[in-house]
Amino acid sequence: MKYVGAIGRGLILVLLLIFILTPDSFAPLFRPLTENNAPPIYNQGSLLSLTLSHLAIVVSATAASAILAVGLGILVTRRSGLEFLPLSRSLVNIGQTFPPVAVLAIAVPLVGFGEKPTFIALFLYGLLPIFENTLSGLTQVPRVTLEAARGMGMSPGRRLCLVELPLALPVILAGIRISTIINLGTATIGSTVAAKGLGEVIIAGLQSNNLAFLLQGGLVVAMLAVLVDGALSAVERLAASRLGGDDTPKAS
Amino acid sequence: MIAIEHLTKRIGETTLVDDVSMVVDTGTITVVVGTSGAGKSTLLRMINRLITPTSGRVLIDGQDTMDIPEDRLRHRIGYVIQGNGLFPHRTVAGNIATVPRLLGWDQKRIRRRVEELLDLFQLDPAEFANKFPRHLSGGQQQRVGVARALAAEPRLLLMDEPFGALDPIIRGKAQADLIAIQRRFGTTIVLVTHDMEEAFHLGDRIAVMNDAQLLQYDTPAQLLTRPAAGFVERLVGSSDRPFRLLSLAKVRDAMEPGDAPGEPIDPDVNLRDALSRLIWAGADRLPVAHGNDTATAHISVSGILSHGRPPQ
Ligand SMILES: Nc1ncnc2c1ncn2[C@@H]1O[C@H](COP(=O)(O)OP(=O)(O)OP(=O)(O)O)[C@@H](O)[C@H]1O
Ligand SMILES: [Mg+2]
Repeated sequence: MKYVGAIGRGLILVLLLIFILTPDSFAPLFRPLTENNAPPIYNQGSLLSLTLSHLAIVVSATAASAILAVGLGILVTRRSGLEFLPLSRSLVNIGQTFPPVAVLAIAVPLVGFGEKPTFIALFLYGLLPIFENTLSGLTQVPRVTLEAARGMGMSPGRRLCLVELPLALPVILAGIRISTIINLGTATIGSTVAAKGLGEVIIAGLQSNNLAFLLQGGLVVAMLAVLVDGALSAVERLAASRLGGDDTPKAS
Repeated sequence: MIAIEHLTKRIGETTLVDDVSMVVDTGTITVVVGTSGAGKSTLLRMINRLITPTSGRVLIDGQDTMDIPEDRLRHRIGYVIQGNGLFPHRTVAGNIATVPRLLGWDQKRIRRRVEELLDLFQLDPAEFANKFPRHLSGGQQQRVGVARALAAEPRLLLMDEPFGALDPIIRGKAQADLIAIQRRFGTTIVLVTHDMEEAFHLGDRIAVMNDAQLLQYDTPAQLLTRPAAGFVERLVGSSDRPFRLLSLAKVRDAMEPGDAPGEPIDPDVNLRDALSRLIWAGADRLPVAHGNDTATAHISVSGILSHGRPPQ
């Protein structure tokens, strides 16, 4: 099963690379989906550069969410930061309850069109999974392990870095993976406010009633999601195996 | 020497440890016994300041522990936590190296020390150094926990029910190992247990706690022959009290002059085991001798039995 997944992802990667590097070679495949001699392959910009912009905004927004969410998670699991738990929870929950479209609508008048509002929407949307996972990762570190660390004279900072974070890492990484995947899809709406990204392809398809464009945008996003999910899951497994897990890392 | 002076811990309305004073001599094993919830762990954890006392103080070799920064204090005191508390994300070697690393020992010295300890606890370094705790049996985990506590060569070792989860055979072995290590390094040990058998087996002195209070702090023999009225008396006063008393004394304490027929008994065997030998051999008396030496003394059933009751 494991190998099937790995091989599948390998094929998807190859297919994706060929497609975004030489999209025109797929023209015959998409021509049946077009009418009235419309272009079968997206022709209003380079797919490669759109894909890179798309990834860039997702990665930067998720990285920013991760820094804030993990930081908050650490803060509210300290004895001195416990009182900030309700506040942090509501903050993070707001980010998730507000639909990204609404955030865009509010952000545009404030920061203008382009990457900025998209970044804000993705950043807010990505906080919750990472925060909740950080919280559960840190709180499920066994009490006796922490007590042992204290009993051997580890300072609070060392306990955090040498014991708590390593033990919570797989769970935190899972949160980051979930946010990244959600944001890969959500980032397509950024194109409605003129952020560069794969949403442009989909929107162009919708505007000109071009099924081929629609499909191309959707497929590239879907393949990216599958690949990123596979890569981040592998990192998670590696982190978990460092914890002495039974699933020792095999080339997957 | 550890001097515990009027140590008290209160949380809200409840008193977990109530005005406990006792002195633990250097190089001895003190066992703290008592029922669950008696305050044993709390007392132990006030020694390395994992819990801050409400009042009273602890002196180690005359120095108030409150005057030592808490992390430095704990680097000097080995601590075996109830339920072993090994770091699941670190290998056996990594676990044992914890305190030496905190102290900044160099790699070579740490590696040497880890191997030395693994050898000491009969865990082959080649096989065990790189295993993770969850791949060890309970007995092996427990040994690694003790090895970790001993890593930085502490003069004082605190152990909270270190053998609680072990089966009787492994437990006996672990206790024997502990005694051997204690003899070899002269470590001062304070050990908590709720097993009376273990207390009598290991303790040079036994502290009996109940309901937050220290009821009696004495040698095992004193505890058996002169128990404080009430809880302690009930605790030690079970039907096997004479046998416990016998296992505290050696053949050399009860032997009488003159030879006797039969297989000789070593003078360092305890009286309980000697009595078993006599019963099994169907003899009234057996010669006492080291190995193949000729016997000049003997041990008798009546001589042994007189040690199984308080001196008149
Ligand atoms: N933080 C706390 N707040 C209130 N009560 C506590 C706290 N910690 C422990 N206790 C109570 O104090 C009493 C003594 O606890 P302690 O852990 O010292 O007992 P113990 O003798 O070690 O018991 P055991 O043999 O079960 O380990 C128990 O009744 C326990 O429930
Ligand atoms: Mg306890």
